[in-house]
Amino acid sequence: MLRFVIAAAVISGAVTFTAAEAAAEKVFRRANDLSYGGKESLDPISATRFYEVNDMVYSRLVRQDDNGEPAPELATAWTSNDTATEWTIALQSGVTFHDGSAFDAADVKYTLERIKDPALESPLASVLDFIERVDVVDPATAKIVLSKPHAGLPLLLMDYRVRMIPEGSGASIATTGIGTGPFKIESYDPEGQTVLVANEVYWEGSPKLDKVVFTAIPDSEARNQAMMAGQLNFNTLTLDQIPQFKDNPAFSVQNYPAGGWFGLVFRTDTAPYTDARIRKAMRIPVDRAEMMKLMVGEGNGVTGCDQPVKANDPFRAPLDCPPDPEGAKKLLAEAGYPEGIDIEVHTADLEPGMVRFAEVYQQQAAKVGIRVKLTLAPSDGYWDDVWMKVPAAITSWSARPADQILNEAYRTGSAWNESYYANSAYDQILDKARATLDFAGARALYQEAQRILFEEGGTFIPYQQNGLRVLTRDVQGIKPLDEDYIRWHLVDLIPK
Amino acid sequence: MLGLIVRRAASSLFTLILISVVVFAGLEFMPGDACTAHLGRDGKGAVLEACRARMGLDAPPVKRFTQWAGDILRGELGTSMQREKPITEIVGWRLRNTLVLSAVAALIGIPLAVLLGIIAGLRRDRLFDMAASGTALVAMTIPEFVSATLLILVFAVGLGWTAGVVTIGYKAPLLEMVSAAFLPAVVLSMVLAAHIMRMVRASVIDVLKSDFVLMARLKGVPQQQIIWRHVVPNSLLPVISVIGLTVAWLLGGVVIVESVFNYPGLGRLAVDAVGDRDLPLVQAIALLFGITYVVTNLMTDIAALLLNPRLRTYRA
Repeated sequence: MLRFVIAAAVISGAVTFTAAEAAAEKVFRRANDLSYGGKESLDPISATRFYEVNDMVYSRLVRQDDNGEPAPELATAWTSNDTATEWTIALQSGVTFHDGSAFDAADVKYTLERIKDPALESPLASVLDFIERVDVVDPATAKIVLSKPHAGLPLLLMDYRVRMIPEGSGASIATTGIGTGPFKIESYDPEGQTVLVANEVYWEGSPKLDKVVFTAIPDSEARNQAMMAGQLNFNTLTLDQIPQFKDNPAFSVQNYPAGGWFGLVFRTDTAPYTDARIRKAMRIPVDRAEMMKLMVGEGNGVTGCDQPVKANDPFRAPLDCPPDPEGAKKLLAEAGYPEGIDIEVHTADLEPGMVRFAEVYQQQAAKVGIRVKLTLAPSDGYWDDVWMKVPAAITSWSARPADQILNEAYRTGSAWNESYYANSAYDQILDKARATLDFAGARALYQEAQRILFEEGGTFIPYQQNGLRVLTRDVQGIKPLDEDYIRWHLVDLIPK
Repeated sequence: MLGLIVRRAASSLFTLILISVVVFAGLEFMPGDACTAHLGRDGKGAVLEACRARMGLDAPPVKRFTQWAGDILRGELGTSMQREKPITEIVGWRLRNTLVLSAVAALIGIPLAVLLGIIAGLRRDRLFDMAASGTALVAMTIPEFVSATLLILVFAVGLGWTAGVVTIGYKAPLLEMVSAAFLPAVVLSMVLAAHIMRMVRASVIDVLKSDFVLMARLKGVPQQQIIWRHVVPNSLLPVISVIGLTVAWLLGGVVIVESVFNYPGLGRLAVDAVGDRDLPLVQAIALLFGITYVVTNLMTDIAALLLNPRLRTYRA
């Protein structure tokens, strides 16, 4: 009996001790989903970047404000010459890297020019290929020289991968993670635990949290269990996981505009889709709100009019496209199909919802006489043997900024132009937008490009899916916005 | 006796060769190859060609099989496509962790099952037997992911006695791993114990009805001595082969249990490898599971031979 009492006392003592320790030290716990299977790299431009950690340890030159527009971070101001080919960037002074060295224009030069290194095979290289070189004007000023005009440079510098690293650190950055961000790496093990500690001299003020601990948990149900058991403070969710947390007072669920989407791609170079009227007839009869409701549920997405641009992008066009079955029938009749049309759509069970998306489209299209034959292709080799090969197939994209996606997937001849869309007027609008320094003017052009895609493009995009996350109640300072909007030095844990 | 063991070992070896052929052929018949599976959308043109050249996929299948099998005999399991590391390096620690988990599960499950089985068998159809057998039936029919989730909900979320999922890395020290393995091992041992308990119970009942027990009774041997000297040792002999068979189930079970508990073992690695479409790693793990199964069965066969003289005289 005595032994039992002693054991109980020791155990309760241990519990109180850890509780007291937790109160003294604010430890924020997250999971990393190991989506790169342990190859997660601290190099921000790596194709397998450890994105959850990189957001916390590095800074960008330019970040987005809550509306998605460029705002100063390490750059305090930016101006360009009249032709948008030379950009002068003024830098924040007094900023130091985690190793104590000062941040200056030489680091900007090194970081931006390193992206082009072909040996690194960075996915960012093609996005920023128009940066010719960076000149160091003085330690607090850098000049970015472009090979062709680009008025949207500040927007591209906002990319979550364009993060500043110390000059000459390329060989070691993948494991050291030395940046200027609010947290610094204490230990790094993407398959086990990665521990970050507060950077007390962070230039925007010392972080409120003391530590951030990442645990590798690849299984999404296991992450939920960990969340339930109080082992995590922050976790992303899938749609079917909402009910587990929604009405639980210990948690809050956030739903934020993100921008991933499924689409149905009709190859514009293949009959019958060479006819723009048929392409439009395929897209306009669908009740997009209804389709989104069936796919992700009301409020878990944002409907759109075949726009690949994410919902909260400042350049997204405010289009409206209510279901128009009569218009679709009329277009089909004009194009020579008064009795309706038989088409074949390929899909695969690659991602949850990718087959259902095709099925819902099939039902919606049936009401105007578009008879869809669904073909389920094997998941293995889908991107290789089916996508961009068959006349009509389901596609899936993650969010990209307007300029990037409109060029990457629709410009004549670009590598991922999945609908083989070729329209020189469209290409010229994009060129002109890149040369337009006035923000409102550029916005008008990007919106015009989206309008063209709705009128005659080959890709049907009914909605963009929202992101979902769950937080424990004590988490403060995280707005319902995408992860790269979060200001981590302001995040706090305040027990209730 | 020795001849019998040699013959068993030879047939195990044959099974292993067959397994390696099946594992290799299974992936061979899938559409695409290791490179298209892994690269997905990027698997085009020069990137795909480079990958195929690096993995040696341009050689004919028979040549690749002999190459692969030869490497395995030298202890080389190839290179993981996703992790870009030698597979032996990746698999080593996880194999240890899975063995720790299985060992803890066996240490909890087997003594419990044997004890409960003996008592239930001796008190056949009485209240204890009905309760124990009923519980065993329930434990056998609940899928592991349900019992795992329930245990986490009760002991981690509700009572707060244990941590929910495992948060230590795969290279954690052995003692930490053992304590992390406790809750997952409980889940595994539930089904394990239920199977073995039912077997022990049936076996005890059989032996109690046998002639030599009747003889002992007639000679006036005390009841305790009959049970512990005659009934229990004889009824445990068939159980040894059941333990071997349960290993097969255990290997399937660890895949689910390790995923639910985020336990860094071979089972979770198998799921990750499939998710990453890392075919060389999937192949290696499938082979390892096969080897474990065959070796365990061989060992239980030999153990049964050593412990049961009657089997030794049986020759076809």
